[in-house]
Amino acid sequence: MKKISYSLFTLVLLLLGACSTDSLDPTLSQSRSVEDGIVNVDNLHGILKGAHNIMSAAGYYGRDLIVNNEVRSDNCFSNGNSGRFSTQAEYLYNENTDYIWNNAYNLLANVNVIIGANLSSLDGNQEQGRHIQGQAMVLRALAHYDLLRVFGQQHTKSGGSLGVPIVTTFNGDDLFPKRSSIDEVKAAIYDDLETAYGMMDTSFDTSKTIVSKYVAKALEARVAIYFGDWDRALTASEVVIDSGMYGIIGADAFVNSWTGPGTVNVIFELAYSNADNLGPDAISNIYRFPGDAPGGYGDVQVVSDLIELYEENDVRRDILGYQDSGTRLRNMKKYPDTATGTDNIPLFRYEEVILNYAEALFETGGNALAQLNLITANRGASAYVTVTKEDILKERRKELMFEGFRFDDLTRTGMDIEILGSLENSLGKVEYPSNLLAYPIPLSEINANSNVVQNAGY
Amino acid sequence: MITKRFWITLLFCLGLFNSVLAQEKKISGIVTDQNGLPLPGVAVIIEGTKRGTSTDFDGNYYISVNVGQTLLFSYFGQMDERKKIGSQNVINVTMKEDTETLEEVVVTGYSAQKRSDITGSVVKVDAEKLEQVIVSSVDQALQGNVSGVSVSAISGTPGSTSNIRIRGISSITAGNEPLYVIDGVPVNNGNASSSDNYSRISTLAALDQNNIESITVLKDASATAQYGARGSNGVIVITTKKGKQGKTKFSVNMSYGFQNDAVEGAVPLTAANRLELYSEALFNDGRYPTKESAERALLEGPYKEWNEAGRPEAHWDEAVRNKDAVVQQLGISASGGGEDHTFFGSLGYFNQEATVIGVGFERISGSLNLTKDLTPKIKFSSNNSGTYSLQNAFLERSAFFESPRSAKFFLSPLLLPYNEDGSFNQFGGSLPNPLYLVQHNIANQNIMRIISNNSLNWQLTENLSFGSTFNVDYQGYNFRLYSNRNYGYSVPNSGDAAQFSRSNVFYVFQNYFDYRLEFSEAHRMDFKVLQEYQSNRSYFLGGAGENFAADGLFFLDNVGTPTSVNSSFFDWYVGSYLGLLKYSAFDRKYILDLSYRREGNSRFPSKSRWGQFWSVGGAWNIFREDLIADIEEIDNLRLRASYGVTGNANIELNQYQALFGYSIDYGGEGAQSLSTFGNDNLTWETSHTFDIGVDFGFFDNFFSGSIGYFKRTSSDLLLDVPLSQTTGFASQVQNIGELTNTGIEVDFNFNIVNTNNWKLNLGGNFSTVNNEVTKLPVDNNGKEREITTTTTNIATGHPVREWFMPTWAGVNPETGNEEWFVNGVDGETTTVFNEAEAVFQGGNAVPTFTAGLNLNFSYKGFFINAQGYYAGGHKIYEGWHRYLNQPNGYTITTFNGYTSLLDRWQKPGDVARNGKFTTAFEPWERHSKFLFDGDFFRLRALTLGYDMPSELMDDIGMGSVRIYVRGNNLLTWVKDENLVFDPEVDLNGETGLETPPVKTVAFGVNITF
Repeated sequence: MKKISYSLFTLVLLLLGACSTDSLDPTLSQSRSVEDGIVNVDNLHGILKGAHNIMSAAGYYGRDLIVNNEVRSDNCFSNGNSGRFSTQAEYLYNENTDYIWNNAYNLLANVNVIIGANLSSLDGNQEQGRHIQGQAMVLRALAHYDLLRVFGQQHTKSGGSLGVPIVTTFNGDDLFPKRSSIDEVKAAIYDDLETAYGMMDTSFDTSKTIVSKYVAKALEARVAIYFGDWDRALTASEVVIDSGMYGIIGADAFVNSWTGPGTVNVIFELAYSNADNLGPDAISNIYRFPGDAPGGYGDVQVVSDLIELYEENDVRRDILGYQDSGTRLRNMKKYPDTATGTDNIPLFRYEEVILNYAEALFETGGNALAQLNLITANRGASAYVTVTKEDILKERRKELMFEGFRFDDLTRTGMDIEILGSLENSLGKVEYPSNLLAYPIPLSEINANSNVVQNAGY
Repeated sequence: MITKRFWITLLFCLGLFNSVLAQEKKISGIVTDQNGLPLPGVAVIIEGTKRGTSTDFDGNYYISVNVGQTLLFSYFGQMDERKKIGSQNVINVTMKEDTETLEEVVVTGYSAQKRSDITGSVVKVDAEKLEQVIVSSVDQALQGNVSGVSVSAISGTPGSTSNIRIRGISSITAGNEPLYVIDGVPVNNGNASSSDNYSRISTLAALDQNNIESITVLKDASATAQYGARGSNGVIVITTKKGKQGKTKFSVNMSYGFQNDAVEGAVPLTAANRLELYSEALFNDGRYPTKESAERALLEGPYKEWNEAGRPEAHWDEAVRNKDAVVQQLGISASGGGEDHTFFGSLGYFNQEATVIGVGFERISGSLNLTKDLTPKIKFSSNNSGTYSLQNAFLERSAFFESPRSAKFFLSPLLLPYNEDGSFNQFGGSLPNPLYLVQHNIANQNIMRIISNNSLNWQLTENLSFGSTFNVDYQGYNFRLYSNRNYGYSVPNSGDAAQFSRSNVFYVFQNYFDYRLEFSEAHRMDFKVLQEYQSNRSYFLGGAGENFAADGLFFLDNVGTPTSVNSSFFDWYVGSYLGLLKYSAFDRKYILDLSYRREGNSRFPSKSRWGQFWSVGGAWNIFREDLIADIEEIDNLRLRASYGVTGNANIELNQYQALFGYSIDYGGEGAQSLSTFGNDNLTWETSHTFDIGVDFGFFDNFFSGSIGYFKRTSSDLLLDVPLSQTTGFASQVQNIGELTNTGIEVDFNFNIVNTNNWKLNLGGNFSTVNNEVTKLPVDNNGKEREITTTTTNIATGHPVREWFMPTWAGVNPETGNEEWFVNGVDGETTTVFNEAEAVFQGGNAVPTFTAGLNLNFSYKGFFINAQGYYAGGHKIYEGWHRYLNQPNGYTITTFNGYTSLLDRWQKPGDVARNGKFTTAFEPWERHSKFLFDGDFFRLRALTLGYDMPSELMDDIGMGSVRIYVRGNNLLTWVKDENLVFDPEVDLNGETGLETPPVKTVAFGVNITF
């Protein structure tokens, strides 16, 4: 009896002792605390890949940012088959309509962790660390640019000058930032891109699916074109061209280049694979039905007469095709894999750089014709004899169709946009400038941070 | 040691000496109860000695005793009897019931208390009430039986989970589910499914209802005090059946029934309806000059084939219906025990089909509960149960085109389910034929749940005991998916398969001391100190792949391309110390309860891990006061009040740490990204609850019941505070915000007739709960951070998630356009949705008024039981209306609509619920047209039965036989006539495409012998 009582007593004491604060510590198996998560340069690379993963989501470059800029343009409309993108195509969005605000700022938080890391305290190759911080800075500029072109007031009727909040630190002092002006955001973008270019070393660029040194310049040219900073566009484009690392893809290879990873014309693309894809939310599924008959999503349909844009022998005409017994014009060959969505999504193509260069040359009195004809020559299209601004925009439209450029090209050149309903019926016009050209700031942001001012009209 | 032995020897000698001197004789007799039935196990002790015996199974006893000594007969629930030994040799004893000890004992968790000692708000529901409703999961049987408790099935799919709210919502974003306690041990229940798309499966459905003795619901701070740290949402205490000393009793319960949807719900448009509406829409859109010309064109176009085939109707609602779905159960149990042990063992089988094809639930369970007195002072008990539950699940948690429930509403009636030869019609398009898929695809999930609860209780002295409990709860989960390669969405992948398994183990250790301090007969203090440690470890493993070489292969071994593999591990720990004091003063006229609990939870950082919770409760048993005790009309009258602090820690794991997550990848390589913003000040959410109530019983308990009022203020809410998304995060869990719930709860019972032959009893309850947010976080400018969705808003001065949307102004009779009020209330209207202001619509999705009614009637062996349930004061929103219930292109071309759409505007002057039809596709516009009063009443249960006369049964060797026919949900009354769905929806308040609640008709028989 005594033995039992002793052992029971011991058991009680043991158990009582076991119940201390430390014994209640949870295990971190799949996660790591932010401090333990960055101990060497390789961890920075891990966060950089995570940042790319954020970009590749359907809510960002995986689909929405590209498709929104097509359905709101004269290229496409939403047929409403699955109810997707008709709100956007018909300009009916309101402050409850989700868009890239959360994705882009989430990207910023992550890249800011990389940029804010104290390199000297980390193990590993310091040069590579600097390169990674440069890569992060390019992505920071990209996120700010995306936010600015979506939410900034540069095309609004009320002539506002508000851009978006600039965020350069993670969990910094100001968790309720105000919207900076358009010019301030633009300056921050250029600043980041210049700094980044200086920090990066091409010897660390091993993959086209990770942002690389010349993306900094390609992006700079893109931003400069958007804001009409022609000289900057000119020099930035030249740097990319002079690198000699990229080329225009030939006519024969053009259509197929959309299935293969990393062709010569690709500067930077987002990676997708059998194991890592967006499934039904892949961009391919929104551009077409899985079969010929209506099915799946396939909401984003091409404006019927668009095929007339291309000459008979233009290989880009082959991107287009018909579904539903030949009644619906479709993007059939850009992002072609409807089964699983394994195609990489190019974000920067050399052809865009050439087109940016041509436009900058045109605006600054240079020889745009030669550049523009580099494109037509590789597409089976007739060469231009003379060049107008319209020619350049038309060639951009033909080359970059379905890639999310058209809306910005229309707005930056001050053109009106016809609104198309689900039956390709006209619902009127968005006359430039218009409050509809700036997206509403999400209500959740306004609710949480009253320093952010809503755009006019919402 | 020597001294002890010496004394024993001495005593023994003295005893011997004594017996030699005294005149000993043998006494025998039979002990019976008031009704003359023999009582086994009655203790028969010679008073003043330790000698004694007990009665056998037939109530007989034999004992040697001296003349002049006194025999003491004692038995639980009976008054002690004393018989002095004289000349007689046979002493038969009839024992009388002791009303004091027979007073209902209510298990309140770690302890059991007599009804009149309880200071809190406690409602006990016994098995007899619970078994009136045939359900896979016992929590659903609580509906309508407890005031202040609202129960709504999330889905009618058998084995699915329910939403239970005790006294409303106590938290905005942390969990609102009550704590479950089984046989004194806190356990975890909930949805085990690893999928967000397929049916939920409840771990509580692993409990066989036949094994449940009672369920007690603890509502206020005093009652939940023992579980203070997790008591904010109330506690549901489940007690399983135990054996009783005596002859082994066998019991067999069987029932077999048929089920159909309780409310038929929306009726899909026929092809003929669609032709009419489509023609009209084309005309309205200006595409044809007349409706007739549009119809002619359609009959030459998409409706040509249909027209030529003789206009057949698909009737998808019939095709996917599992008419008269079977529900059957069988329970066999044996219980009994001897002098130092009892046992209860059971086997159970339950099988329930859903009212939609291809879905069902099956459960096989066994249990064994044992008690054994290891020594007279050390008692051991062990409760063990093992259950295997299997559910054929389906895609029901959103609008999935492969799902038969979605098909019912979404599939075009032009597509026929079967070909002429009776084979499945394998049509193309967005929505595959679900009949084929149900037969060829697999989605099943199963749970193996084993609970073993073992405890020792050691009576150290007369007033001090020590106890120790160890409980293991193992929940093994497995989920298997397969999609065939011949038809449906997996054709491009040549079929795909996936399998997920989780092993989830919960341990609970408890050690406690009970001490009773008796100052005098009238004053008593009961102390309890308890230490508890609980842990959970959960391992998850899953994989998926595609491309099968042949049909008939379902497992991952045979996939050509593995597409994903994942595994993870999570754990949490809870440690706590508890002190309880119950002081019962002046012969139980006054009761005082004090409790204190300190609990640490791994969800919080070490510096703020521990929370302190306490309660004070008091009861004044007025009926025991001398003045009142003499009044015969008053059987019970007591006043009780309590106040205390309870807690809630129902948030996800590891929220306090700023974290990198690694569950992502990019380009085939592992990656990391920020996953949690973190908050190193995170701590407990607390609720302060005040309760006051009166319990009463008058006129020999002809009328009895209780009335209570409560106010619960929950503060330091574990709130997902919206962050500026410029931080990279949408929210951060913070302890901020406050909300209150107040309400009145009434339970009553009328014993109208209570004679030997006739019994009529009417009981019921009703309760109100008013919920209001009183404090929310503010931003840097002092502006309240409201949390808004397209249909709800959280703001102070309103109930949590009050409906918030633009207000529909109806259909303009002149134009046929649907209009909204510009200011959201009245006056100017607009046809542009974005111009209409969103406003509060009054009420949220949680009922503010619930009531239950039950009636029991019996005449001799015949009996009728009925239960009703009413819930109201809330609103519910119709989901999917954009695609299914608007006069647009979706309902007449892409998908299908409801017949409610036939009430539409056609020409100027028409007053209609729906605007003019168009072929255009409209964007999502959520507004008050689709918000409905949620009030409903249901006849929960109606049972007609007959108990065979016991004399007859005795002759054939049976104890008792009961046969019955039972109906559940036979009637449902819905207040809002425009609501086309069953009003019982989950507490997010939106109707979905889950299977609805069912009505059941079942036949059953219970036999004991």
